[in-house]
Amino acid sequence: MIEVKNVTKKYGSVTAVDNISFEVKDGEVVGFLGPNGAGKSTTMNMITGFIEPTEGQIIINGKDISKKERKAKKEIGYMPENVPLYYELTVKEFVTYMAELKFVKRQARKEEVAKVLKETGLEDVQKKLIRNLSRGYKQRVSLAGALVGNPAVIILDEPTVGLDPKQITEIRALIKELGKKHTVILSTHILSEVSQICEKVVIINKGKIIAVDTPENLEKKTKEANGISVTVEDPKNNMKNLKNNIPEIESIEMVKDNKDGTKQFMITSNAEVDLRKKLFEVLPKQDITIFELKKTESTLEDAFIKLIDTKKEEKK
Amino acid sequence: MFTIYKKELKSYFLSPIGYIAVGLFLAVYSTFFFLTTIQFGAVDLGNLYYATARYGLLLIVPILTMRMFAEERKNGTEQLLLTSPRSITAIVLGKFLAAVTVVLITLVISLIYFVIISFFGKANIVTVLVTMLGFLLLGMAAISFGMFASSITENQIIAAIITIAFLVIPWFLPDINTAFSRINLMDMFMKFTYGLISIKDLVSLLSFTGMCTLVTILFMKRRKTVK
Repeated sequence: MIEVKNVTKKYGSVTAVDNISFEVKDGEVVGFLGPNGAGKSTTMNMITGFIEPTEGQIIINGKDISKKERKAKKEIGYMPENVPLYYELTVKEFVTYMAELKFVKRQARKEEVAKVLKETGLEDVQKKLIRNLSRGYKQRVSLAGALVGNPAVIILDEPTVGLDPKQITEIRALIKELGKKHTVILSTHILSEVSQICEKVVIINKGKIIAVDTPENLEKKTKEANGISVTVEDPKNNMKNLKNNIPEIESIEMVKDNKDGTKQFMITSNAEVDLRKKLFEVLPKQDITIFELKKTESTLEDAFIKLIDTKKEEKK
Repeated sequence: MFTIYKKELKSYFLSPIGYIAVGLFLAVYSTFFFLTTIQFGAVDLGNLYYATARYGLLLIVPILTMRMFAEERKNGTEQLLLTSPRSITAIVLGKFLAAVTVVLITLVISLIYFVIISFFGKANIVTVLVTMLGFLLLGMAAISFGMFASSITENQIIAAIITIAFLVIPWFLPDINTAFSRINLMDMFMKFTYGLISIKDLVSLLSFTGMCTLVTILFMKRRKTVK
């Protein structure tokens, strides 16, 4: 369990992180979300004990990171941003060094290193110099360094930046797998990543937490109206009068006039009613042929932008 | 501490730095050996070590120390070290001892010249060993300062220049200011080359080393809060 209590970090007169508090329970996968420069890395650096908060307290599994530094740090595996590595070492040497740094006992070390190399898919390159690896592999080596020693908490700062789509999928699958055994905190500014991997999202902007919730709840909360997108063939132009037949409709808007004679409309209603059934019944009677009918989902992206925007307005 | 020591020592010899340091030391030493012993037949190993300390340390200490913390900071690997459950004291001492070991290695190699001299005449092993002890202490003092210089910047060149300046300024010290000439590290080394262990010099060199190491540790600890 990680408890962050009223933590503030100031750089001179600039406040990078402003009085944030949140909790991460054991076994949770938490996404730390925010635009660039929101204070994600600063927060992670504070949780890992790399920098000290100006104010506030961070407790990792009951150990205060400032007071019981050594014990708290033993609980954490950290993969920093920009994957710093010792380029002159081989993959195996590096992971072994990280294991030694984390006090993995001599007898267990070989086995532990072999296990982590296997988990991260680095067995084939373990004798290569890190200098000569591709970006994707370097990322994995960094991840292996965080995993070695089996820490209870794993903290990943932008783990998928700079990877190709295939590598991203692989790393995400790996993180999901890790979430079964460890508590994972990861930071990212890619939203789809969060909805795919995380059980909880902490949205941070300009050093302040603006929301803590599950990705699904966030999507729901920020949804105001139900939208349905329909593509129809409407020779008699009956779509305009649809409101007379279905009173629940709030608005009908034409989005696109396709050249093949079909038109795309956006129909909105109150959040509570689902119009899809009614549309299927009513439209054919009006000589309208449905080509496509789809409920539009509000995405985490919408939620995110909305949350950030509302906070801005509040300030004004 | 031993973990970090081992890795640092390995890094010295995985990169050219370790070899360059050892090579430069031997090049300087051999040059003076040629100039004094071979050309003039003068046999004074103490004097040889003194000359090597004056010019050799100036070359090898910055090479050994400039990367210590500056490189880690620049590459971000500092994050790996400082978030590991190792104390800053262990990290600093591990790095310090690794650099001292490189100097020790060169000293052991320099025993070749003692063997050569013994072949032609009688050389005094005690004097040579005392001189080496002094050289090692002097090396430790210079390395500890270089380490401190490396901990205050992320630019290796700046770290090297600060260290070189520190080692060069004493050359002109008596001319600039006689008050400071008492804290010249080279003078503290002088008596060792005669085969004498002066407690005053021994303590001075050791306490200078201790002071620089302590300042480095404190500085690294403080950086956590201001960074």
